[in-house]
Amino acid sequence: MRKTCSLFLFVLLSLILISFSPAHGQEQNLFSAVSISPGIGFEYFTRTINWDDEQISKLRYRFIAVNMEVELQRGFFIRAVLGYSSSSFDATSDYDALTFRELPISLELDVGYIKGYILGANIKKSLIQSEELRIDASGEFFYCIGKKNEWEMPEDFVVEGSAEGRPTWMRASLGPVFTYTGFESIYPYLYLNYSKLWGKFHMEQTIEALSGTEDQKIYGESSVCIGLGFTFKLTESLSFKPEVNFFPYKDGVDSGIMIRAMYTFY
Amino acid sequence: MKREKIIFAFILMPFFLFSLNLNLFKIGTARIRSVFSVQQPANPSLKENSPYSDKKNLAFDKDFLQHKTSLSKKIMKENAQPGQFRSERYRIDGSGLSRIESIQTRDSSFSRDRFMVINEGNPYHVSERRYVPGQVLVRFRSTVPEQMREIAINTYQARQIKRIPGLDVYQLQIPEYMSVEEMVYLLRQNPDIELAGPNIIRHISRTPNDPYLVEQYALYNSGQEVGPPASPQSGTLRADIKAREGWDETIGSEEVVIAILDTGVDFNHPDLDDKLLSTGYDFVNDDTDPTDDNGHGTFVAGIAAAETNNGEGIAGVAWNCTVLPIKVADSVGVVAIAAEIAGINYAVEQGADVINLSLGSPGSDPFEQAAVVYAYEHDIVVVAAAGNDGGATHFPAAYDECLAVAATNENDERVTFLNTATDDEPWESNFGPEIDVAAPGDWVFSLYPTDLTPPGYLPYAWGQGTSASAPHIAGLAALIRSIKPELSAEDIMNVIRYTADDVNSSSYEGRDNFIGYGRISMERALVPIIISALYRKR
Repeated sequence: MRKTCSLFLFVLLSLILISFSPAHGQEQNLFSAVSISPGIGFEYFTRTINWDDEQISKLRYRFIAVNMEVELQRGFFIRAVLGYSSSSFDATSDYDALTFRELPISLELDVGYIKGYILGANIKKSLIQSEELRIDASGEFFYCIGKKNEWEMPEDFVVEGSAEGRPTWMRASLGPVFTYTGFESIYPYLYLNYSKLWGKFHMEQTIEALSGTEDQKIYGESSVCIGLGFTFKLTESLSFKPEVNFFPYKDGVDSGIMIRAMYTFY
Repeated sequence: MKREKIIFAFILMPFFLFSLNLNLFKIGTARIRSVFSVQQPANPSLKENSPYSDKKNLAFDKDFLQHKTSLSKKIMKENAQPGQFRSERYRIDGSGLSRIESIQTRDSSFSRDRFMVINEGNPYHVSERRYVPGQVLVRFRSTVPEQMREIAINTYQARQIKRIPGLDVYQLQIPEYMSVEEMVYLLRQNPDIELAGPNIIRHISRTPNDPYLVEQYALYNSGQEVGPPASPQSGTLRADIKAREGWDETIGSEEVVIAILDTGVDFNHPDLDDKLLSTGYDFVNDDTDPTDDNGHGTFVAGIAAAETNNGEGIAGVAWNCTVLPIKVADSVGVVAIAAEIAGINYAVEQGADVINLSLGSPGSDPFEQAAVVYAYEHDIVVVAAAGNDGGATHFPAAYDECLAVAATNENDERVTFLNTATDDEPWESNFGPEIDVAAPGDWVFSLYPTDLTPPGYLPYAWGQGTSASAPHIAGLAALIRSIKPELSAEDIMNVIRYTADDVNSSSYEGRDNFIGYGRISMERALVPIIISALYRKR
């Protein structure tokens, strides 16, 4: 997993460096076509995750975020995301929710949503531009850090105790985006990404003289994301982008939705 | 430009409203509460409301009754005189087992061939999930009209999946942002609702096929008759150590060794022979043959780790763990300190994980204490019996490095002179601030050496005393070590203490001097405890 992450970051960095190099016939002014687009967006998705090598749970995740997209060069966008999230680690109908068996007294999570914050970045570089089709390379990295939550041990325990937990997870994706530019104000697009999700749930337990910690590592079952959406330009400056995405894995398909509104200053 | 800003504001509005919802789940909860009048205290005891606090599995009662009948019949078949059932009772004390014999007449028709083996004798693999996620079951009071029911369901933002007409039970899908326990809590506040609970998953427990399990109320108490036929006593349903639930999590590892420092063991006992390490030692006669010449050691070893799920005899607490027999008591149960400390030292050398000391007497001894500390420092859980004379906790149990074990009975009561008054020799579990936990010690059923069993009897017996309580804890310690090898001896001791059921809380809340933290619970010590949103600290 660490290798995958390193590879991803390497590719992302390369993309940035390549993007800054001037294309044929262009002037060497990096900020010649700058536009800034603040916006707001909402995303919801479920991802099937595995933990403890074989156990399966659902990560349900939703966040609302402010976005700032900067077009550094024509066709080269960098977008920063700052969001407020809530995620839960639910059991599916057949599987367990996240369980911590290395703690002195084993615990199983059934705590509903856990709030947190999200930081993310997206880089998009136009590769091919024809009259009706544009192909971009897009890379994205999201880091979610959950708020630390504390739960008391059940009341029928003979002693008092508590458990503190905090989830963190990351999502990285990389791949081409195919956009049809033939219409006047609607630009439908399709993308196929290599997409990984990984993270951990850190849990600490303290019950009188007994204490222990456990990091439960989680991995997304799917490595592929297929997305479909369109950019609707309401006016020259105002655009609206709904999107659905699917994460197929060997036993099923997870899905998500995203809606974003942007206002562009040229 | 102004028009664009208005459009943008309209687009932002749903996001704003959604974020409000995201932040203020508790507002939603409060709103639901205000619709229906709260008739219970704001923080009712979860012990009463929690579906997990009392997992009664009544379905197995019938099985157990059948099993019990078959056991009686089997014993009868083995008797020399058809129609007569001879029983042995034993009292465990400092001088070993003393026998009380009785003869009863019972029905005699029985054949074991008439029973089949379910699931090829293997335990069922079970789901650990305790309820269907996102679903609850609700029954409204019959006086509540249909329209009000629909309104109520909508108010809780639930969706009806199914209605079971005859029972008038609604199966509801709850909103994603709430946990099942939260929703059940809210529903139970509603006076219009008669019943509300999670959609609990029942499963077939890991139940061993040992025929005499029915006599082991300590492991599963179905409210069956307890003790020898001459003086049967009725137990209380689930006044037991919750062994079945614990076995769903683990049945132990062969690599975990329980050293039984006692009168030795019967190496030929069919329900123990495959569990014994050949490296045992006899420190009474200073040889390598720790054969039991009293019966006490075999009895104790059987409770901790008899061969289980072998279609024969009884079940041990730690199915797969191994027994290291170390003989430190002679044929009449006398233990010299020199033999005891040599035995403890030997257990450390042999890499034991748990030491069971079902022995003791008043007064500490520096050599004995040093040996116990030595074992403790080598990360060995030392378990010892508190004593049976109703006085102060005996040593070695009273040392800090030992888990001191008191005895409870089939009703989860501490064994006292009062509740054993009808016994031939009334006895009482010792007490004091050193007591850590308790386990059943009244009429416990276990192994008896084959070569000491008189003709016409089977090599099994009932016995009483804290000597019988201690190996239940030793078995549990071995199971914890099996699945959590990283835990220190001190941690394991604390897990056993803190997960005990405070069964005398109505008289002594919390830890007390009679049963310590309570009667042990294998379920809570081994099975993951569900942490729900209800337990979130504000």
